[in-house]
Amino acid sequence: MVDFLQLVRNENMKIYRRPRTWVMTLIMVTLVLFISIMWRIFSKGETSMWDVISMESFVLFLLVTIFTVVVSAGSVAEEFTSGTIKLLLIRPWSRSKVLLSKYISNALYAALLTIILFASSLLLNWLLFGLNPSDAAKQSTVPLPGEMAPFAYLLRFYGMKFITLMVTMTLAFMLSTIFRSSGLAIGLSLFLLLGVSSFVPLLAMLDYEWINYLLFMHLDLTKYIGSTVLEDGSGSSLSFSLSIIGAYYVLFIALTWYVFNKRDISA
Amino acid sequence: MEQPIVKLQNVTKKIGSRTIIDQLTLDLPLGEVFGFLGPNGSGKTTTIRMMVGLMSLTAGEILIGGYSITKEYEKAIRHVGAIVENPEMYKYLSGYDNLVHYARMIPGITEHRILEVVKLVGLEGRIRDKVKTYSLGMRQRLGVAQAILHKPRLLILDEPTNGLDPAGIRELRDYLRLLSKEEGLAVFVSSHLLSEMELMCDRVAIIQNGKLIDVRTIKGDETRADISHMLIEVDRQQGAIEALLAAGLNAAAEGNHSISIEANREGTAFINATLVAAAIKVYSIRAQVKSLEDQFLEVTGGERIG
Ligand SMILES: Nc1ncnc2c1ncn2[C@@H]1O[C@H](COP(=O)(O)OP(=O)(O)OP(=O)(O)O)[C@@H](O)[C@H]1O
Ligand SMILES: [Mg+2]
Repeated sequence: MVDFLQLVRNENMKIYRRPRTWVMTLIMVTLVLFISIMWRIFSKGETSMWDVISMESFVLFLLVTIFTVVVSAGSVAEEFTSGTIKLLLIRPWSRSKVLLSKYISNALYAALLTIILFASSLLLNWLLFGLNPSDAAKQSTVPLPGEMAPFAYLLRFYGMKFITLMVTMTLAFMLSTIFRSSGLAIGLSLFLLLGVSSFVPLLAMLDYEWINYLLFMHLDLTKYIGSTVLEDGSGSSLSFSLSIIGAYYVLFIALTWYVFNKRDISA
Repeated sequence: MEQPIVKLQNVTKKIGSRTIIDQLTLDLPLGEVFGFLGPNGSGKTTTIRMMVGLMSLTAGEILIGGYSITKEYEKAIRHVGAIVENPEMYKYLSGYDNLVHYARMIPGITEHRILEVVKLVGLEGRIRDKVKTYSLGMRQRLGVAQAILHKPRLLILDEPTNGLDPAGIRELRDYLRLLSKEEGLAVFVSSHLLSEMELMCDRVAIIQNGKLIDVRTIKGDETRADISHMLIEVDRQQGAIEALLAAGLNAAAEGNHSISIEANREGTAFINATLVAAAIKVYSIRAQVKSLEDQFLEVTGGERIG
């Protein structure tokens, strides 16, 4: 067990010793800073800190997704393109375990980015808007579902987003393992998730049964915060969405491990 | 005799309909440097990839230390160190961090051992620099370092002299011989430098089009006393031939100023004395030792790739 943690340590080293990882993290924190300061300047402090945090979290989580996909798509593919996969695999570790160590380190990076976004927007906006709010800014103006406290809502929001993030990361990881090209894996997973997902409302109007079983129809879990069954007539519920996501997740993982174990390494 | 550390039994690899390795059978004992020689595309790297589990076998079996590389991979690979083709490293890490990376994958490798290996391959001065600043030869040295880090019993090196300078080649050669003779490990080297193999290896297998065509023992220096073809440069060619004929030896004219003759070590001295006694000036005497290269080209017919 301790020995296996060394593999995860190795993968972490490969993520965090690269400048690009820090550049991405820095971009994200800078954007939080930028948006908050601009907002502060133009709103003259008349806004609730919770409004700013919700908005920033909503917009910048997209960045968390993109950066996670970039790192995750690189982790297997770059070992192939650089040829280092050969020296990595000729150690007394099965391929499955090497792959698992990579997967874990990617998940840790996704969690780290999520936490950084959450913590930095919370802290910064508390400093800028929350320290001595004007009377107008004490209450959040955005109606929260079910009269929820803002902090409780945020926690749920991040929880739901993180589940989706794990599926996205797994998809990128799978494409990276199958195609051994990080560019293709990044492009394809972002296209599938962002491009196709923007057609979700359109697709939802079509009256086919199978559409309910598409992954993209279920990736936005935040709509279930407050009420786990939607009242828009679609009849979809949180548990149904989670089961669909879970099924795809298992499929992705199975395919990734199968391909990685079977492949002849001739990089 | 001890049982061989590596056994290749009827190893076959097919990709699509092409047979790349065909029924290869080979045993490697400990304590020997074993050369693997073959023209481009003959299947050396493919064989090595199968030996370290990077490629599956279509048929046959590879046993390392008694364990099957396909069925008990983790046990079989435990005592193997290898370079497969170019030793690609993580360029954005320092040489030292690259070694730490591999050291973490095998329990019991201390920092002291890492530094010891760094010293051995002569990279002390640059080990803290990023690998992307290394020259080809320095990367090759780092490749050797990661291969011997965990003191393997079998060292598999695919063209390890590629990119090394003459001093580096010599050091590697001496070091490999030392490892095999003193620490008793088996070394399996493939190389294009045929003359190198001659100096480095105890035995050499020759492979062509995926088939093993010959395994031969490289003889030590004493064999140079065997009869070989001598080329003697003289001032008077005809006079030299006649003088030798008078002494009962058959020489042939070679070019304008040389004669050729078969002789062993003692014979050469006798020929020289005979010529000098006949007042013929001898400018040079060269033995035309049939090198491994000649033998290699002879067996493979100097054939083209493909
Ligand atoms: N992944 C692959 N798919 C198809 N054919 C391959 C593959 N890898 C190698 N080959 C073929 O297998 C043969 C042997 O290749 P291999 O790389 O083992 O040769 P080699 O002896 O190492 O050559 P070199 O001296 O050039 O390094 C070649 O004909 C090559 O074209
Ligand atoms: Mg080769």
